Amino acid sequence: MTTHPANQQFDVIIAGAGPAGSAAALLTARAGLKVLLLERGEYPGAKNVSGAVFYGSAILNELIPGWWEQAPVERHICRRNIAFMSPATAVALDFRCAGPGYATAPYNGFTVLRPKFDRWLAAQAEAAGAFVLTSAVVDDVLREKGRIAGVRVRREQGDIYGKVVIACDGVNSFLAKKAGLQREFHPHELSLGVKEVIGLDPAVIEDRFHLTGNDGIAFEYLGAITEDVHGGAFLYTNRDSLSLGLIGQISSLVERRKRPYELLERFKAHPAVAPLVRGGKLREYSAHLIPESGWAMKPKLYTDGMLVAGDAAGFCLAAGLYLEGMNYAMQSGLAAAETAILACQKGNFSARTLAVYQKHLKQRHVSTDFRAYRHAPSFVNGPRLQNLYPEIVAQGMEQIFRVDGAPKRKILPLAYRMVRQSSIKPGQLLRDVYQVARTYLW
Amino acid sequence: MVMTTHEEKMRTVRFRVAAAPHIVVNPDICRNQCTVHACVYVCPANLFVPLDDGGILFNYEQCFECGTCYIACNQEGAIRWAYPDGGYGVTFRES
Amino acid sequence: MHIAVCLKYVPDPSTIEADPLTGSIDTGRVLYMMNPADESALELALRLRPPNGAVTVLSVGPVEADRLLQEALAAGADAALRVWDDALGSLKPIITTALLAAALRMKELPGLVLCGGHSVDRGSGTVPALLAEHLDWPVATDVTQFVLQSGRIRVQRRLARGARAESEITLPAVLGLETGLAHLRQASLPSLMRVKHTPIPLYGLEDLGLSPQDLHFPAMTLHEIMPPRPRAQAMFTPDASAPVPERIAQIMSAGAAGKAGKVLDSGTPEQQADAIIEFLHQRGFLEHRT
Repeated sequence: MTTHPANQQFDVIIAGAGPAGSAAALLTARAGLKVLLLERGEYPGAKNVSGAVFYGSAILNELIPGWWEQAPVERHICRRNIAFMSPATAVALDFRCAGPGYATAPYNGFTVLRPKFDRWLAAQAEAAGAFVLTSAVVDDVLREKGRIAGVRVRREQGDIYGKVVIACDGVNSFLAKKAGLQREFHPHELSLGVKEVIGLDPAVIEDRFHLTGNDGIAFEYLGAITEDVHGGAFLYTNRDSLSLGLIGQISSLVERRKRPYELLERFKAHPAVAPLVRGGKLREYSAHLIPESGWAMKPKLYTDGMLVAGDAAGFCLAAGLYLEGMNYAMQSGLAAAETAILACQKGNFSARTLAVYQKHLKQRHVSTDFRAYRHAPSFVNGPRLQNLYPEIVAQGMEQIFRVDGAPKRKILPLAYRMVRQSSIKPGQLLRDVYQVARTYLW
Repeated sequence: MVMTTHEEKMRTVRFRVAAAPHIVVNPDICRNQCTVHACVYVCPANLFVPLDDGGILFNYEQCFECGTCYIACNQEGAIRWAYPDGGYGVTFRES
Repeated sequence: MHIAVCLKYVPDPSTIEADPLTGSIDTGRVLYMMNPADESALELALRLRPPNGAVTVLSVGPVEADRLLQEALAAGADAALRVWDDALGSLKPIITTALLAAALRMKELPGLVLCGGHSVDRGSGTVPALLAEHLDWPVATDVTQFVLQSGRIRVQRRLARGARAESEITLPAVLGLETGLAHLRQASLPSLMRVKHTPIPLYGLEDLGLSPQDLHFPAMTLHEIMPPRPRAQAMFTPDASAPVPERIAQIMSAGAAGKAGKVLDSGTPEQQADAIIEFLHQRGFLEHRT
């Protein structure tokens, strides 16, 4: 290996200080490695947007016991609500758990504000000994003797060398593409999320959502909430604000010629949502891409001298019931860190050595989860599940509950009639039932 | 207020504007080869303005750096896209 | 030549959200930055620095201002220092400038001090002149261009209503520069990494040889900061008895004719100064003529 000046030579260079990058930096720095964590924003989290519910509490608890005591968290989620929407109706599955693990440590999930949470997490990596450098955008990888040997920061004398590069540079990962590990994406593989943080008095939040103390709730919406665009919407409670957003598949937005922020306004005006946000004041509007296709858009995860983790590796699970990204980002970052530590011990950074990353991803249940739910994204984003079924469920409930002097019908004949009236063919219905079962049951 | 116009939304976002644009649009391609102009609809910051002659005018100053335009653009090479220089561009505070 | 640049750590105005009723600011949402006029002053200083010269940056502010000074070092400044003391209360420009002057005197005085003319937060625009007063140096404010010429400096200044003035002053001097004259260069990666852990020397009141008494300037007291409110405006109505052309002229000028000033273009500087003092006295701005 070529030698470079000591101040430009690191054991591990990590591009991107999101949950994947900061977790990787924390673990490698604790192992005594010389770590550089590069972030293009003014501070870690400045460019980061998600829902954001962080479901990785138990994972982080292993790294930083009782982390929620010191981190900027909003509320712990102990109520979840998944609603099927038609333009005027909502049918919801409401889950509440006051039991252990949800309402007690280590908790199941927390709402967070990414600029604050990500900044805190990067500070933990810095405290562990990582060199955290902000305002540093990484444009390319450096190659030496056929392997990746560092990165190019867009500044004068911006070449910097490392034995392992971990690309945690997000959904648009330029590094994974430059390294030849990722292809260009299709508009149907990615979704755009637009989001608003809406300020509301904590007492109002607690009353309105029936919460006590620091309890929180996560609402997720499917169906006509996005009109005919494939996607969904969410509303999460923070301490003194709500995070609400709308997600739309890009190809679908393009096809329907819909402006995302106009859909967001209609979402807020929906009769099931309007009373929840009433009286709030907009604090911040934001947008971000979501690598929704998961397994199908997974890049090659490693090459000589480099690993890919987090959104850059497509580790975002958007499977209807589940909407999780930060926990998988963190798990994959930790798996990459374990791989880098091992490679440094061996003094070998070839693809052959780094292939152990796959084993670590499996041990941390990342690749197993994504494999198990590999059919979910295309199915969830299909037209029938997106619009038709929520509509049928919503209309069906509307008819079941309606009292207008007409005779009451039992559910089965009602359902039969509704399906007959819709455009679904019996074969399609059977196939979809099988798909649901294959996606979620076995 | 909860219901807001797009201008009101954008006023809540902080941008540190770089001296040079990080996105370059080739208006010739927009004018001559593209009939969809998807960027005009999908951009969450509404930065793409269609011109009478079929071209596209682009403002980079209030860009979220999300990449949607680049993914949605169906014409090879019409949008060249990179992140702005380190420390510049959008800075989220609460998202 | 040795150049000093005064930098101020200011809130980004686009992040300041004042409650329309109470005027209170949501401090949790405020982000700070280098004052834009100071940023271009720093860039001009770096361009002006001769091979054997040096650029020193200084700032009066709490520990957060270290970030700004490190940014200046990364861009190429040779030395930095910060002035702060927990004994300092609310800072008004006269105190800030007294501290800056004392800090500049700690080492060999520079030949030129560049300041941003206005800060985006308070924006009183008085710092360059007050600093010059403390140092007993000449000052030029609202400077848009300047050229060094062996011991003198030729400046172009922006005056009201688009007018420009050219003047020449002797060094050492203080310049207050307009905003946006130059864009601060991007630091190189090695410099950015080097300054990350560079400690910034801190000077407190004692280090500067000052006592709170030295900073007692009762002539200027800050009473209150309020959000701006639109002033009630009287509708201009023309004199009904005047002939039509005159009334039209009155409407077109919206009464601006009454604001005509007087240009003092003759007499010695002393005579001109006396005329200004007399004018201010007549209008009630000054109680005494001395």
